[in-house]
Amino acid sequence: MIAKKNRPYLFIAFLFALGAVMPVLLRQYHLNMLTEIIVFALYAVSYNLLLGYAGLLSFGHAMFFGMGAFTVAVSLIHIPGLSLWGAIGLAIAMTTVVGFVTGGLLLRHKGAYFALLTLAFNALFYAVATKWHTVTGGDDGLSVTRPDLSLGFTTIDMAGLTSFYYFTLVIIGAAIVFCWYFTQTAMGQTVLMMRENEERMKFLGYNTNISRLILFTFTGAVAGLAGAFYTLHFQFCSQSAISVDMTTTVLLMTFVGGTGTFWGPMMGALVYVVLQNYLSDITDRWPLFMGLIFVFMVLFIPGGLTQIIQYVRNLFSGRNGTDKSLAVKEGAS
Amino acid sequence: MSDFPVFFLHGLAYGGLLFLVSAGLTLVFGMMNVLNFAHAAMYMLGAYFSYTILQMTGQFWLSLMVCPLLLFIIGAVIERFLLRRVHVFGHVHELLLTFGLAYIITEVVKWVWGNFPLAVNVGGFLGGTVEIFGITYPLYRIFIFASAALVGIMMALILYRTRLGIILRAAVNDSEMVNALGFNVPRVFMGVFAFGAALSGFAGVIAGPLLSTYPGMANEILIDAFVVIVVGGFGSLGGAVVASLIIGELQSFGVLLFPKLSLALVYLLMSVVLIIKPSGLFGEKQ
Repeated sequence: MIAKKNRPYLFIAFLFALGAVMPVLLRQYHLNMLTEIIVFALYAVSYNLLLGYAGLLSFGHAMFFGMGAFTVAVSLIHIPGLSLWGAIGLAIAMTTVVGFVTGGLLLRHKGAYFALLTLAFNALFYAVATKWHTVTGGDDGLSVTRPDLSLGFTTIDMAGLTSFYYFTLVIIGAAIVFCWYFTQTAMGQTVLMMRENEERMKFLGYNTNISRLILFTFTGAVAGLAGAFYTLHFQFCSQSAISVDMTTTVLLMTFVGGTGTFWGPMMGALVYVVLQNYLSDITDRWPLFMGLIFVFMVLFIPGGLTQIIQYVRNLFSGRNGTDKSLAVKEGAS
Repeated sequence: MSDFPVFFLHGLAYGGLLFLVSAGLTLVFGMMNVLNFAHAAMYMLGAYFSYTILQMTGQFWLSLMVCPLLLFIIGAVIERFLLRRVHVFGHVHELLLTFGLAYIITEVVKWVWGNFPLAVNVGGFLGGTVEIFGITYPLYRIFIFASAALVGIMMALILYRTRLGIILRAAVNDSEMVNALGFNVPRVFMGVFAFGAALSGFAGVIAGPLLSTYPGMANEILIDAFVVIVVGGFGSLGGAVVASLIIGELQSFGVLLFPKLSLALVYLLMSVVLIIKPSGLFGEKQ
């Protein structure tokens, strides 16, 4: 039996290996979809750090995603000769600043107030993106071409899907692993305990406001990275990247996957993208299904897919404990 | 500035409508601590019901009475069978539930009435104009402001001058104690939620002839109503009155003075209030 401590590392290695062989197995169409899934997986993971770990329900996560997406698009158009690394770095820097400033304003409130405020700020960013036509392209959006990737000793052509897929897999994969590592650090544990009992954390001498601001900024930057890859993947960026719908998307992914575990939202991203691709072929009432899934999950399966998997696993292993639904809390010990 | 009175009256009318929408929102929020994302969707539903009733009968006053009643029933059903079940899981689940409901209602509206704007005519006496401040002004806009004022006064009277109001305000402070004193608190909350829904339906009927009736109308007013709540102070009725008038005038004069910035002005106001007084103009400290 493998030591329990090593399991996450083996799981990560397994995911990377699986991702590495996918271009051989999948056709162009599905590889495209898989790239999208990986990008959204990071977006959902960053959102879950807020919702699942810190217990902050934000309706404004798309402002970071869209900010990252627009920074890449605008900088690639206006700064000639900008490298791929430069554009991605700019996106992360930009969203870090935005996260820090908005976080300072928004985090003064909690619970439903916080949700309402983040929604209003998201609407503000959306309004700016729509009205500021000269920079963001307004309703028309911005088209970009992926620059080549320079690794110092060699340059890789990024025009093809397969090479971009591997690039996404490595960078986004590394970012997801970093997020996972973050939850294991003292900082990540602080956030988790703050959700459980903030008073006590304050009493123990932690400055909970600063911890929360750091987390908010961090998740914003991570979402910005996901947004940057969103633009690079579609080679196009429109105002929909920064709209409230983009927040709803990530909320649904996270919720469908389950907020209780770190890996749940990634599964949610997979299910969401696949469902959306197939359902929107069959019906144009996709938002109706989205709403129905939402209501159904909230009422009957609040733990998401993770809860179902856990239940099935317990059924087979013969155990009937439900302690696993608190996996996030367990991770703390 | 010869246009001044016209724009002032426009601002009053829009402010009145904003108050009607945000009053229900802030009531439910203040009483039940539920931020109802489906509120604007129910407002839209009210507007569409009103459209159908006007198509069938042509009676504006009839739809003004029937639509809030329909929304009251819908609100009561939502509270009783959906919201109450998730209440134990905390506010995140309640928010998500109303969010999902907003999606469903919007899609159903698109399905039933189509994804295009519908024109609503009041007709009759209200469709006329009136001489005021030396200008000819549509009577309907003044009617909007008057009905908003009436609703506001009625709500204040109920909350602060009746026995029911005392029970409501007590239930906010300590619902368990009120329950123990023999009042049916769950039923009170159901009534509050249903009343909020009825108010949104009323606002929808009023909004129909002013703005056109189309599936995007919910999201359009939702953000403005949220800004009203943030600026006025969470759960404060008086704050909602002041904030919706400020924002109504700001929208109206913003279009006149800074046409490009009119949208940003509202958010600017919100940000300034948040920086100076995070709990809103009339909000209590949390």
